[in-house]
Amino acid sequence: MIKLKINGRDVQIDAEPDTPLLWVLRDEIGLTGTKYGCGIGMCGACTVHVGGQATRSCITTLAAVDGTEITTIEGLDAEHNHPVQEAWQELRVPQCGYCQSGQIMQAAALLNDIPNPTDDDIDAVMTGNLCRCMTYPRIRQAVRQAAAAKREI
Amino acid sequence: MKAQKKFTSKWLSRIFGVLILGIIAYSIYAYKPSIEPIAPNSLPDYDPAVIERGRLMVAAGYCAVCHTEKGGAPYAGNYAMETDFGTIYSTNITPDREQGIGSWSEAAFIRAMREGVDREGRHLFPAFPYNHFAKMSEQDIVATYAFIMTQVKPAQVTQRNNELPFPLNLRYLQAGWKLISVDLKPYQPHSEKSDMWNRGAYLVEGIAHCGACHTPRNVIGAERNSEKFEGAIIDDWIAPALSANNESSLAWSAAEFSQYLKTGATVQHGVAIGPMAPVVHAGLRELPDSDLTAIGIYLADLAGNVDTEATSTAIIAASLDQGKPNQTYRWDAGERLYATACASCHYNVEQIALGRPDLGVNSATNLNQPDNLIHAILDGVDNESGISGVVMPSFRDALNDQEIAQIAAYLRNSRTDHEPWTELQQRITDIRQSTQYKRGQ
Amino acid sequence: MFKQKNFKKSADLSQLTRRGFLIAMTATGATFGFRGPAHAAMTLSSDAFPAGPDGETFEPTLWYGINENGQVNVNIIRAEMGQHVGTAIARILADELEVDWKDVQITHVDSGEKWGLMVTGGSWSVWQSWPIYRQAGAAGRMALIETAAKKWGIDPAECQARDGIVTGGGKTISYGEIVATGLSRSYTEDELKALPLKPNSELRLVGKDVTALDIANKTNGQAIYGIDAKIEGMVYAVPLLPPTRIGSSVVSIDDSGAEGMQGYHKTLQLDDPSGTVPGWVVVLGTSLMAAKKAAKQVVVKWQAGDTAKVSEADIQAHARQLINDPKVGSILDTGNTDTTTAFKQASTSLEAEYTTSTVLHFQLEPVNATAFQNDEGVWEIHTGNQWQSLILPSLAKALGVEQNKVIMRTYMLGGGFGRRLNGDYAVPAALASKAIGGKPVKLVLFREDDTLFDSPRSPSVQKLRMAFDQQKSIIGMEHHAAAGWPTQVMVPSFMPKGTNDEPYDPFAIDGADHWYSVGAQLVRPISNDLANRTFRPGWLRSVGPGWTHFAVESFMDEAAHKIGADPLKFRLDHLLAEGYNAGSAPNAVGGAARQAHVLKRVADLSSYGKAELEKDTAIGIATSFGQSRNMPTWVAGAVKVHVDRASGVVDVQKIWLVFDCGTVIDPNGARAQCEGAALWGLSMALYEGTRIENSNVRDRNLNTYTPLRMIDTPEMEIEFIDSSEAPVGLGEPGTTVIAPAIANAIFNAVGVRMRHLPISPDDISAALTER
Repeated sequence: MIKLKINGRDVQIDAEPDTPLLWVLRDEIGLTGTKYGCGIGMCGACTVHVGGQATRSCITTLAAVDGTEITTIEGLDAEHNHPVQEAWQELRVPQCGYCQSGQIMQAAALLNDIPNPTDDDIDAVMTGNLCRCMTYPRIRQAVRQAAAAKREI
Repeated sequence: MKAQKKFTSKWLSRIFGVLILGIIAYSIYAYKPSIEPIAPNSLPDYDPAVIERGRLMVAAGYCAVCHTEKGGAPYAGNYAMETDFGTIYSTNITPDREQGIGSWSEAAFIRAMREGVDREGRHLFPAFPYNHFAKMSEQDIVATYAFIMTQVKPAQVTQRNNELPFPLNLRYLQAGWKLISVDLKPYQPHSEKSDMWNRGAYLVEGIAHCGACHTPRNVIGAERNSEKFEGAIIDDWIAPALSANNESSLAWSAAEFSQYLKTGATVQHGVAIGPMAPVVHAGLRELPDSDLTAIGIYLADLAGNVDTEATSTAIIAASLDQGKPNQTYRWDAGERLYATACASCHYNVEQIALGRPDLGVNSATNLNQPDNLIHAILDGVDNESGISGVVMPSFRDALNDQEIAQIAAYLRNSRTDHEPWTELQQRITDIRQSTQYKRGQ
Repeated sequence: MFKQKNFKKSADLSQLTRRGFLIAMTATGATFGFRGPAHAAMTLSSDAFPAGPDGETFEPTLWYGINENGQVNVNIIRAEMGQHVGTAIARILADELEVDWKDVQITHVDSGEKWGLMVTGGSWSVWQSWPIYRQAGAAGRMALIETAAKKWGIDPAECQARDGIVTGGGKTISYGEIVATGLSRSYTEDELKALPLKPNSELRLVGKDVTALDIANKTNGQAIYGIDAKIEGMVYAVPLLPPTRIGSSVVSIDDSGAEGMQGYHKTLQLDDPSGTVPGWVVVLGTSLMAAKKAAKQVVVKWQAGDTAKVSEADIQAHARQLINDPKVGSILDTGNTDTTTAFKQASTSLEAEYTTSTVLHFQLEPVNATAFQNDEGVWEIHTGNQWQSLILPSLAKALGVEQNKVIMRTYMLGGGFGRRLNGDYAVPAALASKAIGGKPVKLVLFREDDTLFDSPRSPSVQKLRMAFDQQKSIIGMEHHAAAGWPTQVMVPSFMPKGTNDEPYDPFAIDGADHWYSVGAQLVRPISNDLANRTFRPGWLRSVGPGWTHFAVESFMDEAAHKIGADPLKFRLDHLLAEGYNAGSAPNAVGGAARQAHVLKRVADLSSYGKAELEKDTAIGIATSFGQSRNMPTWVAGAVKVHVDRASGVVDVQKIWLVFDCGTVIDPNGARAQCEGAALWGLSMALYEGTRIENSNVRDRNLNTYTPLRMIDTPEMEIEFIDSSEAPVGLGEPGTTVIAPAIANAIFNAVGVRMRHLPISPDDISAALTER
């Protein structure tokens, strides 16, 4: 029995310990906001926060996160108004939207660690997140906008 | 002819005589009497302060790590140690009277810790690092005894038979081993050193038995005192040198050591994983800050490391600079894979964030062997290792051996000044194979 | 059709399961109500439109209804895959209808015969919807005005409708109030066509800034895609794919290795009367992970199809053979097709061959489908799909039922790009469900299976020839193009016929029928039957124009250089807008002149030919007409690159694009589509591509398939020509000019001509060495 906190709630999971966290979230818990894109940690669609750090949940086992605190896109902000989400909406970033949960989670973590990111910083941290609709110009703009908004708070 | 025979037989009989005498002498030396078992429920009434001291000792010695089998009852033994001589299983040290040490008196326990002999007088294999525990004060050993006997739950688990070939399995021969291999004297303080230094030394050389992993061993399995803390291979992992020969680009200062042992991670060196993880997480981090500081002072001094912030800042800045994203990343397989799969977590700017280990200064990238890095990539870092609450995913099923080799080679070549690792991909294949058992855990 | 009663009847069908499905669909429960701007006012079913307390609605056409609260629901048959098509279409209607945007919601409908052809692709949606939804909106507006006027006893001409209110003779009444009185009015086709439509100058939603209705849910994890479908009691399925896409059959299945595994249910050999998925085996489990693990232990032996050893080299060699065989191929009607004479008379001529590699869709949501038979005996397929009308017959055939016994439930698409035009992935889900008595089965293709099962863009070979007279004017041009034909393998009835009565796939030749005046013009599309036999060629974002324009626009530069002309002037000199290239109403007004215009504009913007640039740095230009002659989107692009001679690496520094797409419905969305399309073009030009090896694509995941990422994104400057012409598509045109502009830029920078996509540093290095 693995015990975790997911979006602030205590949860106990009885699944195979080597089940990827992604599928625990999607199928066992029913939080489908986190997506599957490649299964090898190279598209970022599965990005969640573990202990506040962006983590690729498709290659993180349930056993590895025993006792940790997980945040998914659904729990990033209670009102879905995290500065990153607001910037994403204002700039109309999503197209098909499938990658965007991961992009947002990665961007939110980026701004926690690097509050004033340069283009290089955004490139380095966000390049692991693939967007097949190629909304990259807007993602970049939205990260900058969210960073500015956070600094004003 | 007859004279020759006589001569030969005279010498033979002398040699034989010496041998017999030797064996008798040895046997006298090796003989340890059995100590009477204590009666049930006859433990003294230990002061809570003693028991607490024992708890800290047990943490400092992280006894549970070697004395607990995966999924087994704590301290009930049967943890398998793959030594060069064969597999040895640890003993049940719960207070169970039949299978554990429940019938052991204080004296029996002290003798075991100081001399490596069990209650019944049998010599213990030096997989049990009594050469270190011998350095403990009697007070500390008794406290340890008090904690184990009163706080640990008895478990009726039978010890598995060791898988040592003849004659290595003869306990009788261990006495000889002791004679030539170890110094069993208790710790002697160095008067010219500070109290903190001595405290650190007492813990490191004693209960914490760091040398048991970090000092290489000779052919008969004894720690090589001349190469103290020069590093060793443990269970497929590298226990890095703690001496001045440590390969990291940044020296381990006293503060680095303390921080590492307290939290399992530092920004300058990375995280404690593999066999080191439980040393921190199931052990040393329980110690009071003063003890951890003392350990740091001792180790840093032994290695001759002086903390120079200027140097470390420069080295870190250089590493961060080399970690900047590169527009031509996609044309080198290792660089491309790194940028896609790793950089999002490992990138830093201006200073290294604790949750973003910088792979340029990271110990794993700097060691002469790639083993630790390979382990980290294959199996990640779970919540029981490294930084509490933060994990690294595992790439075992995501990347093949060639891809891991490309990433590792890229890191080695672009982020360090060291020579490339040789036979890197083969090493990955070997380690992947030997850690297959980890799947499903 | 327009009384609420009738509407409800058709909505009654499987009401129960829809409700259950709806609740499972969204994280926040029922989505019937209207919400404020912060939330998406969007539902994904054809379920009941929320009616007022007395249940009155007014539905003048199939496409929408108004309830007595004045709320408007617009029915959308197009798939939402990021182009915000529902919002675009709803705006077109709402503008004519004169309602406040906040009162509008959209419903992406499930499949149903009444909707007619349901397809989303070809950059068609806005273009096709423009007349229809405008008429629909105008119809409603007229009916409401007439009713109010009648009520007040005044002439309708004295009334005005605005923001959901009719005013006239000093009185006002809201749409909702009118509807509450019970309103029914229907329109014939002719009446609809005769309705007065607003002039562009009076459009208040179209062309204005509006946030698309699907965006909010895509930022909080609440958007539901096919892969998120959840049906009570479903089992999960993963496939075991045969060695060839076509022609393989199962010899034996041994699942003994999976027996007893946690969650393993059973292994099915699919019996497929529709022939969509030959040789397929699926493994069922009580969880996706269980099915996946079990599948690894199941051993299947197949008899491989006869293309088991076919490689990309084979396919391309075959293409060349076909091009050289005068007996094959179709001929497009381009006017004077007698190029033989032209080439006989030529003073100089030029010939070049262009090739492109196989390209994967790699839409981020891998294909999947959930299928079951509901309580009414109707088969429900839950998935994201771009062409319901295409796959429904196959589904019906596979299940052995009438088409009206199959319904496709609409979901968001995690990427279409043309992959989901081919709904083949729905068939095995349906078959698996049928095999277990109609119980729900959720089939998911993990990435390596998804790419293996892709309908990739076929590799292509194109041969272009140009004939010049003594004055260096073009007197003839030929364009031969051989590739796998998606339309031929998927829906052959869609193929028009050439002048030689041979059918051709327009999506494998559009673009070659350019708007340059070249004298005699022969455009010859050829079907690569080896490609068609080896894999399912797919329609991939920009389809034919994605690679035909690469050839045409590279060739135009080559031709210009051949005769010593400036490539820009050379093109402008031949965009003469006369005769065949003069254009026509309503979609191609202006013809080649509009293409010339965007080309001039992009040259100005980029300072083409004028900018002082560093060594080995140059700008290249290209222009196209987007997707097809009958729906031209005029595009011109300029790309500035720097080539590193030592490594052959191309650094793309900036992209300029100018679009004339007629009326811009959604400026923000238009820009987003153009950015995305352009980056697709860049990705296919330099960064992504695969090969067929042993009948299948070689690259299966992101470890070796490397599409464009954030760091590869250059600076882009995009401009739209102000126009009130008919709106044409934008989802794809931006892709078409990038590759040739880059190829032209590389030539301008370092003098080597690259004729294969993707262009790799090794290829450039080799070419530089050769020189």
